Order: sequence, then structure tokens, then C-alpha cells
Amino acid sequence: MSQDTSFMPPDLQHELAVLGSADIVVGIPSYNNARTIGHVVKAVQAGLGKYFPELHAVLVNSDGGSTDGTPAVAREASIGDYRTVLAAHPLRPVHRITTPYHGLPGKGSALRTVFGAASLLGVRACAVVDSDLRSITPEWIDLLLSPVLKEGFDFVAPLYKRHKYDGTITNSIVYPLTRALYGRPVRQPIGGDFGFSGRLAEHYLTHDVWSSDVARFGIDIWMTTTAITGGFRVCQSFLGAKLHDVKDPGVDLSAMLTQVVSSVFALMEAHEPQWRQVRESTPVPVFGFEYSVGLESIQVNVERMVQIFCSGVRELGEVWERCLQPDTLEEVHSLAGQAPAGFRFPAPLWARVVYDFAVAHHARVVNRDHLLRSLTPLYLGRTASFVLETSNADAGEVEGIIEDLCHEFETSKPYLIERWHATRGGLS
Amino acid sequence: MNDPFTTRLLRALDVFFEAVMRFLPGLLAALLIIALGLVIGWLLKVIVRRLLLLARFDRLCDSWGVSQALARADVRVTPTALAATSLFWVVLASFAMAALAALEVTAVDQLISSFFLYLPRVLAALAILLAGFVMSNFLARATLLAAVNANAPSPRAISLVVKLLIAILSFAMALEQLQIAKNIVLAAFVITFGAVMLSLAIAFGAGGRDVARRVLERQFKDVDPDKDRDDLSHL
Repeated sequence: MSQDTSFMPPDLQHELAVLGSADIVVGIPSYNNARTIGHVVKAVQAGLGKYFPELHAVLVNSDGGSTDGTPAVAREASIGDYRTVLAAHPLRPVHRITTPYHGLPGKGSALRTVFGAASLLGVRACAVVDSDLRSITPEWIDLLLSPVLKEGFDFVAPLYKRHKYDGTITNSIVYPLTRALYGRPVRQPIGGDFGFSGRLAEHYLTHDVWSSDVARFGIDIWMTTTAITGGFRVCQSFLGAKLHDVKDPGVDLSAMLTQVVSSVFALMEAHEPQWRQVRESTPVPVFGFEYSVGLESIQVNVERMVQIFCSGVRELGEVWERCLQPDTLEEVHSLAGQAPAGFRFPAPLWARVVYDFAVAHHARVVNRDHLLRSLTPLYLGRTASFVLETSNADAGEVEGIIEDLCHEFETSKPYLIERWHATRGGLS
Repeated sequence: MNDPFTTRLLRALDVFFEAVMRFLPGLLAALLIIALGLVIGWLLKVIVRRLLLLARFDRLCDSWGVSQALARADVRVTPTALAATSLFWVVLASFAMAALAALEVTAVDQLISSFFLYLPRVLAALAILLAGFVMSNFLARATLLAAVNANAPSPRAISLVVKLLIAILSFAMALEQLQIAKNIVLAAFVITFGAVMLSLAIAFGAGGRDVARRVLERQFKDVDPDKDRDDLSHL
């Protein structure tokens, strides 16, 4: 209750003051999600009614100024007759709040409002779920909140069943890097759906990051990294399949990659003392019953990816030679001669490329936006190699390949530390 | 003693010495001003050099592409050293002009006033050229990256066009600032800019007829929409 909550709209503060206190807050950030938010709200309502009927829960929809009627849908969506989905009627109805948020437009600002609501209500547990989810079920609420309420965990990261080609930025950069840096194998560090304790929500609010990229797009990795580096108890919950609304096809991959990687690299700067000490990773407990699900097939244009990689090799030498070590650059150049059908980008080389980019970002050897955009052809090269390598592999084998990549990142970590250290006296 | 030759000689010498005596204080003052200029210029050079080193100016120039351009032009000093030395010479030149003013020569006075009136224009032109250079490098690289990532044909050529256009624009603006043949520069710029655009349009329409057709077909017709499809969800 001691936190500054002046960033919250006065109407929301008043409504929360009238409510007084609560046990649970579930936050749903939204922006033009009228098509899907109704389903998400119903699933949350049912989950709270089914698994936590005796607890006082508040649902907060923090909206970024939707123009498609999202807040109205969130306000009006209701299960109606609880008897059709639940065996017992909940003792206390879920209190629902729809509010705009203040600050920079983005998911981070939306979640800050949720943290603020949790802080003012003094809740024991919170969960946040994306508003574009199509596969959310009431069980998700149990899986995200029970480890906090019943097992004393502070942060619950999601575990999804995804297609082997789904989430390639997570699989090839964010997961291996986060695991190697901080020593906690959180499989979906930017999953987007999390559970956390009221204590951790308070801790999030103490950080002054709300004018930075965290407020706009880097909130997911920031929440995960802050929980790990803050020494909070972290676990994972298996939620099943993750299916969400079709993203705008116009969304530029390069911009998306730049946003994600810049967030991870910025956190590396902030937590250098911690990750420098980490030598190995320790397992993260997993909750939930794992099962396999049928997933729709994904069409991948490998030839185009290899074309972009080769174009990068031809044209981006001027940028790459400033960030990649000469032997790494030479190896990258040698890959361009391969036939597309048998194209391979070795995992050890990829780990060195990512570490070289992290060091170059740290040393600001070139404009940071340009640096990260020049990573796109390399990332597509690695993704093409991964797709070809796993074309006949099942889910277990694919996880094995990702595991091998993580080991490469872990064994190459001394290389990162050495190069990072060298930048203090000028880039080597 | 009163013969006309001696009188004239003495008068001439008298006038000469008088002129020398009139000129000497000015000369001494001019020498003193130049000496002062040397000291101040040297001091400023040292201070600016240290400040730029502290601000990691060389690394900044490296990321802007200035260092590479200097290397290409066979300038073998660091940007920091170049900036500090340039400042020294600007300060010395300004003091030299002040020194000339101390001589109180009418023709020189006019030259000096013209110099000091023109100096801001020279500095503004230099600033425009520098900004144009930095911007052309920055935008050319941004264009190159965007073109490569979009798998566009000839990304290098696209980025070169952007670089050239900005360089031409900034050069024309610098000349306009220097007031060198304003009308000719303006006309030359309009003609050059128009010519570049026209030649690009003709090159694209004639040389790249097939490419143009493909681009337009892709925009307005359903030509194998699955060909470039990618369902990959990267996050």
C-alpha cells in the first residue's frame, strides 16, 4: 500500500478504494481485441468460480484505447448460468473493472495498472493473460494461481504445447540466452501469461522502468528476468496448447526481432553482476499434467529465408564486421555457399553470433537499431537451418535439439564474459 | 646643409621614419595578437581534444561512418585530432584577421570585415555538409537493412540512391548558404534531381519492365498467394 499509485486513473483508484481489499487480481491487457476478449473473460470467470469460489477476486481489463468496442465486450461478457459450466455456484461473484491506462502505449503500461490495482487491494496472488487467446480454459487460472496460493511460489511462467516451428525467436534466442545468463531454464520466458504473488507485484512497482521500452513491448521478459534476478521462487505450469488470434500479417519480423532482442540485451546491461556469477542452470519446478495436442500444420518458406540470409552476407559486411569477431564472420560467410536444401547454420556458431551482437549492443559500436536489424538475416539463416534439421523430427526430438542449443549457449558463456569485459577498455 | 638635395633626402627619410614609427606599434600589436592567438588556439586545442576523448567522439564518428570516410579520403588522423586541429586553425585565422586589423590598412580593414561577415556562412555550410553526410550514411544503411530484410532486389543500389539524393541535397544547401551562384546552384539542383528521378523512372519502366509487371501484378492480382506464404509465428 506504500507504493505511488498516481499513475492510475482517478476513477480506478476510487473504485479500488471502495472495494478495499481482495485475494486475487486477474489482469487482461487489451487493445482492439473485441473478437477474442469475451472468450478470455468468460474463461477467467469460470476458472475463478471453479477453483477459487471462496476467494474475493477482481478482474481488471486494462485497455489501451481500443476503437473496436473491446472494453464494452469485456464488461458485458458473462457465463450467465454458472450451472452449465460449474458443479457449484461461486460464493462471491468476480468483481469486474474495465479501465484505460496512463503512460506510454503498450502492454507494459497496461500491466503496471494491474500491478497498481493488486498493490492497492493487497492481494495474495495475481495472474495476467493475453486478450487474444483462443485456447484459454478455466484450468489456466488454476494452473497460474495455485502454485502461488498453495505452494508459496512467487512467479509462475507458462509452459505451452506449441508447433515445432512456433516461437522460433523464443527457441533460438530468448530461451537459450535467458537460461545461460541467469541459470533458470524457464522455457517460455516471453509467454505472455503469468501468475505471480502480491509481493512480486509490489516489487515490480518499485522499479523505475515505466518510461522505457519495458512499458511498450518488453514487459514479458522483464517480468521473468526481474523475478529470477530478484531471488523470487519461480516455477512453470503446463497450460496446454497456445492458440491466439491471427496477428496482423503486416507486422514486420525485423521490427519484432529488434524489440525482443533489445529488451533481452537491455536486461543484460542491468543485471550484469548477477549473470556474470552464474555458472550452471538449476531446474525450475513444473506444475500441471503434460499431454500432447493436435496442432495445425505450419507452412514455412525456407528458400526465402536462405535467400535473405545470403543477401545479408553479400550486403551487410560493413555492419557485421563491426560486431562479429573475424573468425565468426568468416564462418558466417562460408555458410552462404551451401545449397538451400541442405542449408545448415551450426549451433556453436549461432551462440557466438548472439553473444557477439550482445557485446556490440553493449559497446554501442554501431547504431543499436541498425545493429539489431542486421541480425534478421542471420536469425532467418538459423531458423531455416532449424526447420530443415527438424523436418522429420517429432516434438521430443525437437526439444532435444533446442536443449543442445542451450548447452552451446552455456558452454560458450565464458566467451561472452571475456568479450563483455574487454569492452570496458575499448572493443577488442 | 640647405642644399635642396639634402633637404629633400632628409624630408623623405623623415617621412619614412615617421611612417615606420606610425606602423611599428600596429605591427607589434599584430604580432602580439598572433602570439596570443597561438596560445589560445593551442589551449583550446588541448581542452577540446581531452573533452572529445572523454566523450568517446572517435567511437561516435566510427558509428556514424565519419572515420571510414576519412580513411577513404586518406586522412590519417583520428576525428578527435582533426576536430581539435581544425579549431586551432579557425582560432588562429580569426586572430590573424584581428592582427591585420591592428595594422590599420584601409584595404585590409574591408577584407577583414568581409571575412568576419562571411565566417558564419562558412560555418553554417560546414555544419550542413556534416549533418548531410551523417544523415546520408544513416539513412542509406537503414534503407540497405530494410531492403535486405524485405528480400528486395538490388538492396545496395536502393541504398546508394538514397545516399546520393541526400548528399546532393545537402551539397546544394551548403552552396546556397555560401551564396555561390545561387541561381545556377538552384537550377543545377532542380535539373539534377529531376534528371535522377526521370532516369530512375525510365530505367524502371524500360529496363525493369518485367519486374514492374510482377510488382504490379502482385499488388493488384491474385498470383499464387501461397508462393511467399510463411505461417511461422516467431514469438
